[in-house]
Amino acid sequence: MFERLKGIIQKTTRALAYVGMALVLPMMLLTSADAVARDFWSRPIPGAFELSSYMLSIFVLLGLAYAQQTKDHVRATMLVSRLPEKVAAAIASVTTLLCMFIVAILFWQGIVVACETQCVSDMLRISQFPFRLLVSVGALFLFLEFGFDLVESARKLVS
Amino acid sequence: MSSDPVVTGILGTLLVFVLIFLGMPIAFAMMFAGFVGLTVLSSVEAALPVTASTLWEVASFYPYTVIPLFIIMGSFAGSSGITTELYSSFDKWTRRLPGGLAIATIGACGGFAAVCGSSVATAATMGTVALPEMERFKYDQRLATGSVAAGGTLGFLIPPSIGFVVYGMLTEQSIGKLLVAGILPGVLLTFAYIAIVVAWVRLFPNAAPTNPDQVTWGEKFRALYGVREPLFIFLFVMGGIYLGFFTPDEAGAIGATVLLLISLIKRKLTLPALFVAMTEAIRISVMVLMLVAGANVFSYFMALSTIPMQAANWVATLQVSPYVIHAVIILIYLVLGCFLDAISMMVLTLPVIFPVILALNFDPIWFGVIAVLMMEAGLITPPMGLNIFTVAGVAKNTSVETIIKGVTPFLVAIIVVAVILTAFPQISLFLPGMMKR
Repeated sequence: MFERLKGIIQKTTRALAYVGMALVLPMMLLTSADAVARDFWSRPIPGAFELSSYMLSIFVLLGLAYAQQTKDHVRATMLVSRLPEKVAAAIASVTTLLCMFIVAILFWQGIVVACETQCVSDMLRISQFPFRLLVSVGALFLFLEFGFDLVESARKLVS
Repeated sequence: MSSDPVVTGILGTLLVFVLIFLGMPIAFAMMFAGFVGLTVLSSVEAALPVTASTLWEVASFYPYTVIPLFIIMGSFAGSSGITTELYSSFDKWTRRLPGGLAIATIGACGGFAAVCGSSVATAATMGTVALPEMERFKYDQRLATGSVAAGGTLGFLIPPSIGFVVYGMLTEQSIGKLLVAGILPGVLLTFAYIAIVVAWVRLFPNAAPTNPDQVTWGEKFRALYGVREPLFIFLFVMGGIYLGFFTPDEAGAIGATVLLLISLIKRKLTLPALFVAMTEAIRISVMVLMLVAGANVFSYFMALSTIPMQAANWVATLQVSPYVIHAVIILIYLVLGCFLDAISMMVLTLPVIFPVILALNFDPIWFGVIAVLMMEAGLITPPMGLNIFTVAGVAKNTSVETIIKGVTPFLVAIIVVAVILTAFPQISLFLPGMMKR
């Protein structure tokens, strides 16, 4: 049951990251087109700047959990890799719990801050609300990824 | 809550280091310690929204689009076949020199670094091309792997460079000026690495048997054709930044678009390669920007603790030459480089070290070059040198110990270049000083 749930959640995490990373090409083309249109014809693309900002936010926030799944968030393992497995697992459990604590705050405050915002983009008047809410979406899946890591550490601890 | 801000700041800093050495991901360790510190020095109501707001501000800050764009530019450069062409070009020109293939490796790394911002990508892509060639000619494994690992570090100094982007983000310096400032030191370091290879082969001629094949002048000049693409892209991208036509973000986007077109025209870009390029872009960008978000939360706490200001004031009153303090900072970076990766080292140290540098009246752009140079050293200092492990991944039959032995002489080159740049800061500052904006 747990493994099935984990599989579904991790697939969703990857799907979210694929949505985010697909935006890197439009971001690249839009920024290039904007610069060329401005430098050669003095006609920048209206709203290119803010669209790129929004695309960057989707790209980063939807990739948060995926980066944890692929263990890309940098860690110094020099000390823990030399410790006995059980001690290392106990330490990993504690540090993962601390990560979950701060990510839970990100999730909660992401909703609070998003709900409080009235901001819209300068030119295209697009509301920031749905993009700000992605802080919580990213944090939720990141929390779950850390949760799977915690279970893994706990298993090593009791085995 | 009332507590001594400086004591709280010191305890918070210790907490970060303890958590990092216990294996907590560095970005979250900094964010956690920053949150706890802000709670103690201010209030939990003030600290709570800072985390989410900071993450949003970092994730949606337009200038940070430069990171995924530089990464994808490097990936497209790798897919377009530039690596093989560059290596072949340099090989034709350096074949008769002592250690010719190792020199070609370093030259080609420098060329590839001009279109790629990542040292790991430079070492990995160049390693796959250069190592089999050096193995074929029975090069000493230490020289072969050392030259690839060291050459790869050029990706961090020669623009486009993620190192300068992160330094610019953390210190609010012009990223364009920083990138331009890295050009001449990058060329200097390339020549310093080549000097190390030449000295090595002069001392131990058996380390690099000469390739007996002759190269005609016609072949040499035809080989220059292989340099045209990276040279054109570098001149276009960096020239655009230098002359004020593009911002670094736009330069990254245009460079990536041009390389995408080249890959498509040459029919080198497959769908799996495009997928890998995009995956790499999201993984590295998220990792870097999460570190920046963590560092920003920690910086708010540091600012509240007044430690950076007090450290700067204290250092300014010391009766020693600023260069002694500068040397101490370099030493700290060398030691930290043994344990931490380059970007982590930057986000951990700059909140305190940068105000000290300003208080000592050092030029922030010049220090950016020195800092990035020292981060480069961290990429090849054992036991945590990222490039060492990258090359170990490419050179399957070579032990990490062999690569460490091979890369150590190149560290001398970095130190020598750091000394030269300190003695002659105009090497770094000449080009940015002439920029249009």
